Amino acid sequence: MSLNRGVIPAERDDELFIGWAKAPMVDRRFLLGAGPLLLGATTGLGWLLAKNLGDPGAGKWETGATHVVEGALTTKPYPMIRVADPSALKGVRTVLVVAQGKCTSGLDLAAREGLPVKASGVLIERKGRRMLEVPFALDKWLEPVFIDMPGVVANPPEERLGRFALSGMIMDSKCFFGVMRPGRGKTHKACAALCIRGGVPPSFWARDGQGRESVLLMTDAAGGPIGEDILPLVADPVAADGEIVRVGDLLQFRADAGAYRRV
Amino acid sequence: MSVKYQGVQWNGNKVVYDLYMFVALALFTGVFMAIGTTVHPDGHQADAVILLIRALGCAAFLMLTIVLTIGPLARLNPRFLPFLYNRRHLGVMTFLVAAAHFGLTVIWYHSSGPLNPFVSLLVSNPLYASAQGFPFEIFGLAAFAILFVMAATSHDFWLKTLSASVWKLLHMLVYVAYGLLVLHIAYGALMTEKSPVYVALVIAALAIVAGLHVFVGLREWSRDSGMRGLHAPDGWIDVCAPDDIPDKRAVIAPLPRGDRVAVFRDGAKIYAVENACRHQNGPLGEGCIKDGVITCPWHGWQYRPQDGVSPPPYEERIATHDVRLSSLGRVFVRVKKNALGKAGAFIDLEEAAS
Repeated sequence: MSLNRGVIPAERDDELFIGWAKAPMVDRRFLLGAGPLLLGATTGLGWLLAKNLGDPGAGKWETGATHVVEGALTTKPYPMIRVADPSALKGVRTVLVVAQGKCTSGLDLAAREGLPVKASGVLIERKGRRMLEVPFALDKWLEPVFIDMPGVVANPPEERLGRFALSGMIMDSKCFFGVMRPGRGKTHKACAALCIRGGVPPSFWARDGQGRESVLLMTDAAGGPIGEDILPLVADPVAADGEIVRVGDLLQFRADAGAYRRV
Repeated sequence: MSVKYQGVQWNGNKVVYDLYMFVALALFTGVFMAIGTTVHPDGHQADAVILLIRALGCAAFLMLTIVLTIGPLARLNPRFLPFLYNRRHLGVMTFLVAAAHFGLTVIWYHSSGPLNPFVSLLVSNPLYASAQGFPFEIFGLAAFAILFVMAATSHDFWLKTLSASVWKLLHMLVYVAYGLLVLHIAYGALMTEKSPVYVALVIAALAIVAGLHVFVGLREWSRDSGMRGLHAPDGWIDVCAPDDIPDKRAVIAPLPRGDRVAVFRDGAKIYAVENACRHQNGPLGEGCIKDGVITCPWHGWQYRPQDGVSPPPYEERIATHDVRLSSLGRVFVRVKKNALGKAGAFIDLEEAAS
């Protein structure tokens, strides 16, 4: 006859751990080994998980420091200031302008369109691409200046480089340039979509057929701000055919939202 | 045991248990942050808030994995009973760590935008119909809701109010929460982080939890199956010989309708009670007789073997079963339970021998 013996039998009743009583010696000995083992294992796991984190990429957000730029303000296709800089491509350094938080569309800059300004804010920078984060109240960061702005700086000519088929990922420029590190991938999708919905300019982090990597400012096919139809595709691997246009030092990728497809 | 309710009931063992939990969590989070900040070259440092969000998320998953392995480990080896004793605190702490992960995520990724942060959480990734792009946040949110309900009802007040069976059923949702967390990770972090270490660790955690549960389940099924079909037609089952029961311990036998009975021996006397503790359905038969009373191995709740009533001032009751010695000297147990509080017939081996 087979028997069910339940718990492993013990000779002495004090060998069973009872929470409110003093722990038996056999359990104390076990715990003296298991406790440090547990602490060692959790420490080791913390090390292993952090050691294998992906590189978030270059990027900085210089909170606590004020960065000042002087140049021509434009809102087309997104708020930006073009600064005369002989060291930059075509002598123009483009500094995108975004508001604090994720609501850049709240910046009312229409009345300053094309005017020379002095702007101060927090610098966000990734591999030479610059952005200024500013408060909503214009008088806190923006003042008119009287400087001679060469036409090629204030209103640089558009240089059409042709049509390209690119694949890559759509990111919000603010997080991708350095506010969030990493500011890409599926875990950042919702944040990126929220930022772009709030008016932060989208960037296309793309590779061409030869594998060359580039970050391009996204506009619609006519060069205007791209619509919210793009939001479901943000932070996913996508491909698109479009036109690349150089404006000053900045590359724009011009394609309507419908031209992008998930790959 | 529950004569009155307190916010948290402490004793020396619980203090040591909680201390280990805090130190382990602090070590894990601290090492994760320190290594995560320095692992990449200058200018490529990860954001401290995102690192903390990830550290807390990993910690919550690790803690829930440990919570789920403690039960089967304690069934396999009583040395793991100390880990089970204060598992409730570990569960509540898991919820608090998950809450910190959730709160920081909502603030960092979803606030200061054109949408309400909680609306943003639900709509910012609209790919609900996509097998690959499905918003991983939803899995995490559902798991968090379950953990919240479990943490909110973790106190013995709710155990008594809801009844042990309902409470236990509610807390079985932890397995649903764990599955949702695995999906949360698979659709989020594993689609972002490229290192195979993450995939391997999640698979290992899942395999350990599932493997332990299946192994323990099969072991019990195998033990029970040897006893099935042995019950006598007059409503009694032949459990074992008296000497098969270690003194102060029990033999557990399955009953025809699926319950189990625990047959205890205290010196020359043999008693039978239902196997499920009134507290959290703990396996009484895996406990012992201490100071003359049956003591549950999970949290030390006690019952007199004669009538199944907790010693005063406690008032919990479990049902007894009648036992008798057969003409062949075997221990027979009546399948039908006695009414709660009613003393069961027991065997006195000394009397039988005389």
